[in-house]
Amino acid sequence: MSGYADTNVLVSTDWVKANLGRPGIRLVEVDVDTKAFDAGHIKGAVGFNWQTQLQDQVRRDIPTKAEFERLLSQAGVSNADTVILYGDNNNWFAAYAFWLFKLYGHKDVRLMNGGRAKWLAEDDKELTVEPTRVTPTTYSASEPDLSLRALVADVLAAVKTRSANLVDVRSPDEFSGKVIAPPGMTETAQRAGHIPGARSVPWASAVQKDGTFKSIDELREIYLKGAAVDPARPTIAYCRIGERSSHTWFVLRYLLGLKDVKNYDGSWTEYGSMVGVPIER
Amino acid sequence: MDHASRVYESILEMLPSEQNPSPLVRLNRLTPEGSELWAKLEWMNPFGSVKDRAASALIEAMERDGRLAPGRSIVEPTSGNTGLSLAAIAAVKGYGMRAVVPNKVPLEKKALLKLAGAELDVINDNLCPSPGMGDGAIGMARTHAKAQPDRYVMPNQYENRANVEAHIRTTGPEIWRQTQGKITHLFTSLGTCGTVTGCATFLKQQNPRVKIIAVQPSEGHDVPGIRNKNELHVTKLYDESLIDEVIEIDFERAYTGALELARHEGLLAGPSSGLIFEGARVVASREPVGMGVMIFCDNIFKYMSSMLKHLPALKEGTEA
Repeated sequence: MSGYADTNVLVSTDWVKANLGRPGIRLVEVDVDTKAFDAGHIKGAVGFNWQTQLQDQVRRDIPTKAEFERLLSQAGVSNADTVILYGDNNNWFAAYAFWLFKLYGHKDVRLMNGGRAKWLAEDDKELTVEPTRVTPTTYSASEPDLSLRALVADVLAAVKTRSANLVDVRSPDEFSGKVIAPPGMTETAQRAGHIPGARSVPWASAVQKDGTFKSIDELREIYLKGAAVDPARPTIAYCRIGERSSHTWFVLRYLLGLKDVKNYDGSWTEYGSMVGVPIER
Repeated sequence: MDHASRVYESILEMLPSEQNPSPLVRLNRLTPEGSELWAKLEWMNPFGSVKDRAASALIEAMERDGRLAPGRSIVEPTSGNTGLSLAAIAAVKGYGMRAVVPNKVPLEKKALLKLAGAELDVINDNLCPSPGMGDGAIGMARTHAKAQPDRYVMPNQYENRANVEAHIRTTGPEIWRQTQGKITHLFTSLGTCGTVTGCATFLKQQNPRVKIIAVQPSEGHDVPGIRNKNELHVTKLYDESLIDEVIEIDFERAYTGALELARHEGLLAGPSSGLIFEGARVVASREPVGMGVMIFCDNIFKYMSSMLKHLPALKEGTEA
C-alpha cells in the first residue's frame, strides 16, 4: 500500500484478521445487497443499511448529525474507535459510509482494501451468522464538514466558471447519454448525458481484478494524466446517487492526496432532473 | 436397470451414460447444403438439461470426500439448470438445497427451483460494469458456505473438476459412440465451461482433428445460462487451448434460432441451443461440416417469458 498520500485510511484483509476482537477496533459492513450482512459477516462486525440508516428517511439528504450520532451510539461505536469499513461491490457503500464518517468528523476511519469479495475469496478468512453483541455508547459527531460535499450550487458554479475538475464515474453509456441509469435501477433522472466539462473515468478504473486499489503510479496515470485532473484546482466527483463517486472521491482525496475534493451526492439523479441546466452528450 | 425396457427403480437410474445416452437427432431442413448437423438433446435427461451430468458428478464427489452427508445442505450459485438438477437429486437423496440465482434468471426457472424444494436467494447482479469479483450470486453462495460451514457445502461448479470429469466420462464417450467416431465438429456454448472442456478433452484424445467450436452471444446479451468470453473470469474450467474457434453471434439470434428450430425441425430447443445452432450454421455455410454435433442444453419451456420478450409477435392472437 506504500506510496499512497495517506497511509492511514486503508487496511488489508490480513490486518483485519490479525486484529479481530482487539478493543478499540470496530468493524462496520455496508453492502449494496442489504441481505448480505445477515447471510454472513466478519466476526464482531455491525451492519449498516444504506437505504434506511445512511440517508434521511424524509428529505433527500444525508442523515442529520443527530441521526448519525444515534446510529453510531446504537452500534457501539466510540469517538476514539478505529472504524474499519468494508462491503460488497468493491466497497461502494463502504466508501459512501467512509465519506459520511469523515463528513461528521470521525478521526480514525479506514476501508478494508478489496472489500467483502476479497475476504470471501481467501480460504483462511471466516464469516459468521452470529449477531454481534453491542454495548451502546454516546457518540458525538462534529458539524458536517461541507468542504467534502458538493451541493448543486457548487456544481453549477463550477460549470459556469470552469474552475473545477468534474469527474463522472458512471459507466460510459451513462456518460454518453445512451442510458439514463444502468438497467433495472429505480433511481433515475429525467434526462441523459453528463455535466458540461466533466471527464469520464468509470469508478472501476481505480481497482484491480482482486478488488484492491491500483498502485499509486497507475492511479496517477489514470486520473492526473489520462483524465487530466489538475491537482491545483478543486475537484468534484459524481455518479448517479453518490455512492460510486464516494469510491472515486476516496481515491482522489486520500490515495492521490488532492487537497480539495468534494463528493456530489445529489449526482445525476439531481442534476439530470433540473430544469434549465446545461447538459452535454 | 434395463435401458431397453426403460423401467427404473429410481429416477437417478435415468441419468445419462454411455449405456444410456441422450438422443442424437439429425437436422434435416435447416442444415446448409453439403453439411451434416446433429443435435444432442440434453433436455431428455431426467431433470431436463445438460446440467444433470455436472450436478450428479458434483454430488457424488462431495459424498465421496465426506463433505456431503444426510442432514447437510448444498448451496450453489446457479442460473437455474444446475440448481434444478442439484435440487432434484438432493431431494431423492435427502439433502437440503439452497440456490443463489441472479435476478435476470427467468421467472420459470426461479419457480421451478422452489418447486423442486430449493430455498432461493435472488441477487441483483451486474449493477455496473465491474472488474473480476463483482459476481453477486457466487459471492452470496460463498457467504453461506463460509458463515455456516456445519450446514452448507458449496460444490462450486465453476471450479470443481468433477464438472469437467462428468463430460469426459459421459458426454464425450456418448458422442464418440453415437457418431461411430465420425464427428468432425463439436459446437457448444460457454458457461462454467465444464461441457466444452470435458467433451473436447475426450474427443481430441480420440481424434485430434475434431474441431471444437464455442459459440458465444454478443456482449451485453440477454441469454440465460451462458456467457460471453469476457464474462468467463468467474470460471476456472475454461481451457482456451482446447478450443479451435470462438464464434460470436448476435444474441437476438438465440431467440430467432430457437423459433426456427421449432418450426422447421420440430425441436423445442431453448435459446442457448438457438445460439449454438446459429453458430453451427455460420460454420457450415463457410466450410463443409462432415458431421457436426451441437450440444442442445435444454428445451424451450423454461424460457417462454424470455421468448415473449424478444419475440413479441408470439403474443399476438393469444387472447379472445
